[in-house]
Amino acid sequence: MKYAQLVMGPAGSGKSTYCSVMHNHCLSTGRTLRMVNLDPACEVFNYPAVVDVRDLISVNDVQEDEELILGPNGALVFCMEYLVQNLDWLHDELDEGEDDYFVIDCPGQIELYSHLPVMRQIVDALKSWDFNVCSVFLIDTNFVLEAEKFISGALTALSAMVAIETPAINVLTKMDLLSERNKQLVDEFLETDTRSIVDQDETVWNSKHRRLTRTIAQVLEDYSIVKFVPLNCEDEESIDQLLLTIDTTIQYGEDLEVKDHYPEELDPEQLDHI
Amino acid sequence: MSAENQQPSSSEIPEIAVTQTGPNLAQKPSVLVLGMAGSGKTTFVQRLTAYLHARKTPPYVINLDPAVSKVPYPVNVDIRDTVKYKEVMKEFGMGPNGAIMTCLNLMCTRFDKVIELINKRSDDFSVCLLDTPGQIEAFTWSASGSIITDSLASSHPTVVMYIVDSARATNPTTFMSNMLYACSILYRTKLPFIVVFNKADIVKPTFALKWMQDFERFDEALEDNRSSYMNDLSRSLSLVLDEFYCGLKTVCVSSATGEGFDDVMTAISESVEAYKTEYVPMYEKVLAEKKELDEKERKKREEEAMKGKAVHDLNKQDGDGEDDDGMLESELNAKVDRIHLGGVDEENDEDAEIERAT
Repeated sequence: MKYAQLVMGPAGSGKSTYCSVMHNHCLSTGRTLRMVNLDPACEVFNYPAVVDVRDLISVNDVQEDEELILGPNGALVFCMEYLVQNLDWLHDELDEGEDDYFVIDCPGQIELYSHLPVMRQIVDALKSWDFNVCSVFLIDTNFVLEAEKFISGALTALSAMVAIETPAINVLTKMDLLSERNKQLVDEFLETDTRSIVDQDETVWNSKHRRLTRTIAQVLEDYSIVKFVPLNCEDEESIDQLLLTIDTTIQYGEDLEVKDHYPEELDPEQLDHI
Repeated sequence: MSAENQQPSSSEIPEIAVTQTGPNLAQKPSVLVLGMAGSGKTTFVQRLTAYLHARKTPPYVINLDPAVSKVPYPVNVDIRDTVKYKEVMKEFGMGPNGAIMTCLNLMCTRFDKVIELINKRSDDFSVCLLDTPGQIEAFTWSASGSIITDSLASSHPTVVMYIVDSARATNPTTFMSNMLYACSILYRTKLPFIVVFNKADIVKPTFALKWMQDFERFDEALEDNRSSYMNDLSRSLSLVLDEFYCGLKTVCVSSATGEGFDDVMTAISESVEAYKTEYVPMYEKVLAEKKELDEKERKKREEEAMKGKAVHDLNKQDGDGEDDDGMLESELNAKVDRIHLGGVDEENDEDAEIERAT
């Protein structure tokens, strides 16, 4: 069994930062994370990548090509489709050994998950190569400082999740950049029952959408896999906690027996193995 | 990405000037055209512009896509005049995505001028159309996108039109993913929302309407597609979408043939009514709350100053980020000057009639 985290999220959510933070954190605890860059439009990143899709094809290559006249988006799609046609290349580059743990930096554009089969095809390939895959969906905390925006963030994460069908952890990044007041606000969101958060504001808009909001909040409550985990890159404990959550979801370190339910549903006895 | 260090961060972009008087309800509405890359936003704007011109009720058109090579409609304000995409890439050493975000951020700092122009011209046009960047996240998950949306909405009636590629949406998983994303935009903007099923000439969107009316049918279609892993969650999400569809305005159009555009205008005017009853009271409430909060903080600071304590600005980040911010800001300004930011003082009067390429 090999393991892979797929790091996803809108542009600017902090994917590359997350990757370098994770890499450094694990170095200091003696763990090896093998980093992969699958973003053909990426410019610079701060972690050592064992595989870089730009060795195969990059957005710059495509845009410079005289025959193909593609804008930035078309070029990105072209690159991803090219990658999917050359998955053997990826497999060779990964060169995975038993128990290897990969962190894969993916492109942000939601279109690649919901609209095109490319990300799904990559995930399916990984699974066929005996990988346990989990998505890590990042959202910049600054964008979710209100109940409705919080829901908006959850829906975006869900939108990607239903498309690629893997277990997912949603991460609120840039917690270290929040003011004290906002930090408290976010802590409140994360600890309170989602349903009660949304009942607080009485406005015409909220009343009109009350049933929808309640239904969404119910899903967020029932399926704790959709819960958000905060990440403060400056706080080793925060990083550790997140890594533990992801490891559990990905079943890293457990018995090799395949378990196909969410961690919350495991018996307490089974959890002792971890 | 290194680009993030150089562009204005979300804490540096100024908050929108909160107007004391509230939105001008008498003004002609603005329509934000959003959608995934390839859904046909630009073609939609093109067709709608032609439609309105033919009826002698011309629109005021704004292009917010900095990376588009050809704008196939007469445009009044073009972000490409204000910010040069290729120069931004060179000057800041950015890739295409970073450059799009930076262009939007830079445009955002001038957006008050754009609002002024829209307000000034309101008598001359029937509706203001805004074409947004190809990649939807550049607008929906960015500080500048939010600021532009909020600036418009707090000034006059604003409506969101979400364009869907009907041909791609025939896959139920894609459909669900797309609708969830639409729902997320609804919650972000809280503005009246219209879903436009585009490309009706390729695929009749009736399948979408049927899925929206009949939960069981949709769930069945999904089941064939999904793994058992997602069964429960998927079904619950279908229920969420079921609620979303209640009262949701949808229109089926073909930007290629022009069918369905009467419905588009009807949907817009109905949405303006919804704006007046739902958005405005909410806005006024937020305004009042903000005033209250600011007042409280001002009092608190006065008290602290009198006690001789050091005052921490709750809006700035804790820690010693100030020096870095100051330096970055002057670096940014220097670079911005070199790019020769065009003014938004004049619209393209003469050019407004002709299609523009790069």
